[in-house]
Amino acid sequence: MGKKQLLLTIMTPEKTVLADKPVEFVTIPAFGGEMGILPGHASFVVQLKEGMMHYKDGHHKEFFSVLNGFAEIHKDKVIVLAEAAELGKEVNEERARQAYQKAKETLAMRGADMDLDSAQASLRRAAVRLKVAEFRRKHKQ
Amino acid sequence: MASLRDIRKHISSVKSIKQITYAMKMVAAARIKRAQSAILASRPFAGEMDRMIADLYYELDEEDLAGTAAQELFEGRSAGGTLALVLVTADKGLCGSFNTNLLKAAAAWLRENRGRKISVVVVGRKGRDFLHRLKGLDLEIAHEMVGIFPKAGYVHAELLSEAILKIYTELPVESVTLIYNEFKSMISQRIVTDRLLPLKRHILEKDPATTRKAREFSFEPGKTDLLRALLPRHIGAQLYRTLLESQAAELAARMSAMESASKNASELIEGLTLKMNKTRQAMITTELNEIVSGSEALGG
Repeated sequence: MGKKQLLLTIMTPEKTVLADKPVEFVTIPAFGGEMGILPGHASFVVQLKEGMMHYKDGHHKEFFSVLNGFAEIHKDKVIVLAEAAELGKEVNEERARQAYQKAKETLAMRGADMDLDSAQASLRRAAVRLKVAEFRRKHKQ
Repeated sequence: MASLRDIRKHISSVKSIKQITYAMKMVAAARIKRAQSAILASRPFAGEMDRMIADLYYELDEEDLAGTAAQELFEGRSAGGTLALVLVTADKGLCGSFNTNLLKAAAAWLRENRGRKISVVVVGRKGRDFLHRLKGLDLEIAHEMVGIFPKAGYVHAELLSEAILKIYTELPVESVTLIYNEFKSMISQRIVTDRLLPLKRHILEKDPATTRKAREFSFEPGKTDLLRALLPRHIGAQLYRTLLESQAAELAARMSAMESASKNASELIEGLTLKMNKTRQAMITTELNEIVSGSEALGG
């Protein structure tokens, strides 16, 4: 081989999405804008905002939705700690749209319960999912 | 002596109770697997988070940290302010001594700190009701969260950490204490009283050999901003673990409580059945006696 590779790990509090997957190229939605990472990158700790991340592994490309988190790059290891991460092709657009609608309705109703806060959280999640689904649609056609 | 009908009634009511307790046991047993794997799945994240904060902390200079909000979270505050308590209980009963012991521990803690101003964040219906019943304490319930079990998610932990940080920044809180049940094994739970904030002790206790040497990393945004963003997440991850532990412990406690309840019901049914049969036999014997003596009296 001889070709240098990155080891990508994506973790959320609820599960480990990817563990030490060798990839060639990663982009992450860094706080100040998209950031591309190639092997040999300087050690870096960066805050992420919600958005999409891609990685390339040979001819295979994949993308994820991530929500607020951090990434650490050290010695060709990329560790992404996100509050939520989902594989692009696992995002269900219809469900995301429904969730978006439902969250909006709940927020509009303004119940006294704690559901309000969780509705806000699911609204954010749904928004990112919709973005990912849209991206997928554009690039498939 | 109880009549045959009474005993039959009693047996059937015990039987239906047994059905319920058995069903609850099975439900808890099915859920506990998921709860356990959730704990396992949350571990790597929490570990990485701790490591990242430790890395960051060692990269920081004293002057970087001075006067920031992050410092407040790390360093201890002057004694004598408000005390904050995070109490994690179950929503439902029928889980043995799970809640009772927890509430006893909480009451002991409150007694210890009698006379101080106390602010409480409570998870679980049982704990909330308990705190509402308390009188004569300088106690304020800052945030309550009910109905999240058995589907506690990271979202809930996040909301909790927001609430706690709000208390911590708005009030002169000296420390935040956490009381919850830890899942030790399927048959035993342990009550843990832990210090959530300030953080310093928690991170510096780690072996310094595991952290890398300083000045290796670049940061975006600045170190202090990053730390400020990281710390709430760290607290969130801690709380998430706490919620999961408590959830698994509750299910384990319920499982063993319901199992012994089912066993007791079986024993009770056995005893009652024996009693019923004896009564029935006694009745038959008396009747026979009566018939025989009657016919003897007639026939001569």
